[in-house]
Amino acid sequence: MNRLVNFYHDREHYLLGWGFILILLLAWEAIPRVAVLPRGLSLFFTTPTRVIEAFYQLIVENKIQHHFYVSSVEFLLGLALAIAVGLPLGLITGRSRTIDALVDSYVTVLNATPRLIFLPLFILWFGIGMWSKVMIVFIGAVFPLLINTHEGVKNIDRVLVDVVRSFGANEWQVLKTVALPNSVPYIVVGLRLAIGRAVLGVVVGEFFGASEGLGYMIASAATNYKVDVVFVGVAIFMGLSLILTMLVKNIETRLSRWRPEEIKTF
Amino acid sequence: MAFKAIYQEHYRAILGTVSVLALIFLWELLLTFVIPLNPFFFTKPSLIAVAFQEQVIHGALWNDLAVSSRAFIWGFGLAILFGIPIGAVMGWRRRAEYTLDPFLTALYASPLVALAPLIIVVFGVGLFAKAMLVFLLSVFPFIFNTFAGVRSTDRLLINVVRSFGGHEKDLYLKVIFPSSLPYIVAGARIALGRGLVGIIVGEFYAASEGIGFAISRFGDTYKLPEMFAGILVLMIAAVALTEGMRKLEDILAPWRASQESR
Repeated sequence: MNRLVNFYHDREHYLLGWGFILILLLAWEAIPRVAVLPRGLSLFFTTPTRVIEAFYQLIVENKIQHHFYVSSVEFLLGLALAIAVGLPLGLITGRSRTIDALVDSYVTVLNATPRLIFLPLFILWFGIGMWSKVMIVFIGAVFPLLINTHEGVKNIDRVLVDVVRSFGANEWQVLKTVALPNSVPYIVVGLRLAIGRAVLGVVVGEFFGASEGLGYMIASAATNYKVDVVFVGVAIFMGLSLILTMLVKNIETRLSRWRPEEIKTF
Repeated sequence: MAFKAIYQEHYRAILGTVSVLALIFLWELLLTFVIPLNPFFFTKPSLIAVAFQEQVIHGALWNDLAVSSRAFIWGFGLAILFGIPIGAVMGWRRRAEYTLDPFLTALYASPLVALAPLIIVVFGVGLFAKAMLVFLLSVFPFIFNTFAGVRSTDRLLINVVRSFGGHEKDLYLKVIFPSSLPYIVAGARIALGRGLVGIIVGEFYAASEGIGFAISRFGDTYKLPEMFAGILVLMIAAVALTEGMRKLEDILAPWRASQESR
């Protein structure tokens, strides 16, 4: 008995956390077995086992692979574009006060606005194919990257810059040897935020005017009352976001052990 | 000389204004004289201004704005109502933290917006579904920021209240709440952005009124100036709310002005 108590105390943290999730899932599974749901509700009801079954079915029938592929391509292309644009722009605005003052108002306004509002415009411009989604992913993910890179460059130790300068470095060398390496922790935080925005862009972009992708799969399943398929899609997005966030989070803690713990921001 | 001094002092404001004006003029001039304007594809500032006047000043868009705000306020209010107590309990009771943290973190990290089609299919296209979506997206920043705020409360202050015989109620109202308020407001700013996403997605997806619906309808009918006017209205609202929140944050916690996570 004592051993059991000790066991519990040592692992209370995990036991309570995972236990709660497990209990919730079990309760969810049990509801339709113990209670009779009204006709209207049972139409929209599913259980974890049915979701897993639907997932298995979708994989076996090769119905999900293509959607998954399309969504991944959109996500990766959009994020790559955002990095390619956001990082250099952040470095430049961090180094040059003039350029910063010129673009700051656009960055502030666009960052405050939910960029999803541009979706109808992008569908008009880029069509209902892949590119409107890539663009919505891009515009969602670029600002966290830009702003965090900018912040990182702004916070470099002046002394370091002065040292490199006095050894005759030009602006490019300052960027390469001091600014970029020193802002890496900030960039990683930006990347984590950007991943969240990018996933959001993929999901919502595919809800409207798309004919493929996981978001489309969710939306069309919902209109056909295939609730289990909706949850398959949601679970995939959930799993991927969690894995990606944890991955970046790991890099982040490795790079910034000395920093105080910060509030969760996704 | 005087000019240079003034420039040095206000260079940010001057350059910012110059760049915005330059963009507007260039945009207008390019599409008037250089590139022939295809009204189904693009528009120019003068046309947007006319549409803006018509939609906003003469009020065609007010009804949509009112509909969206109502859903937003409901969802956001509920998020405050649920988020702050949950976060407070998590910050105050260790076991509550252990129990809830993994579950809520998983939900926070995942794009819950993916549930939007289901919510709309189940609850319909009205106020309720949209408010629900806003709630679902904006409750987590409140939970986690209140949690962080309560956790960072100075132990010393708590001990002082206790040693002077303060009740549990005093502890909450006089120490814990005030010291976590800055965190909560910072959370509110994040929640604001997420809540706006909820409104827009809800209205894009299925709605018959609201600002998001108006913008997507203008897009579907190729009314680009009106669409840009709608986007402009939403931008103004978003900036006003965000900056207002930031000001509030500075007032409540001037020492933590402008932290990360924008």
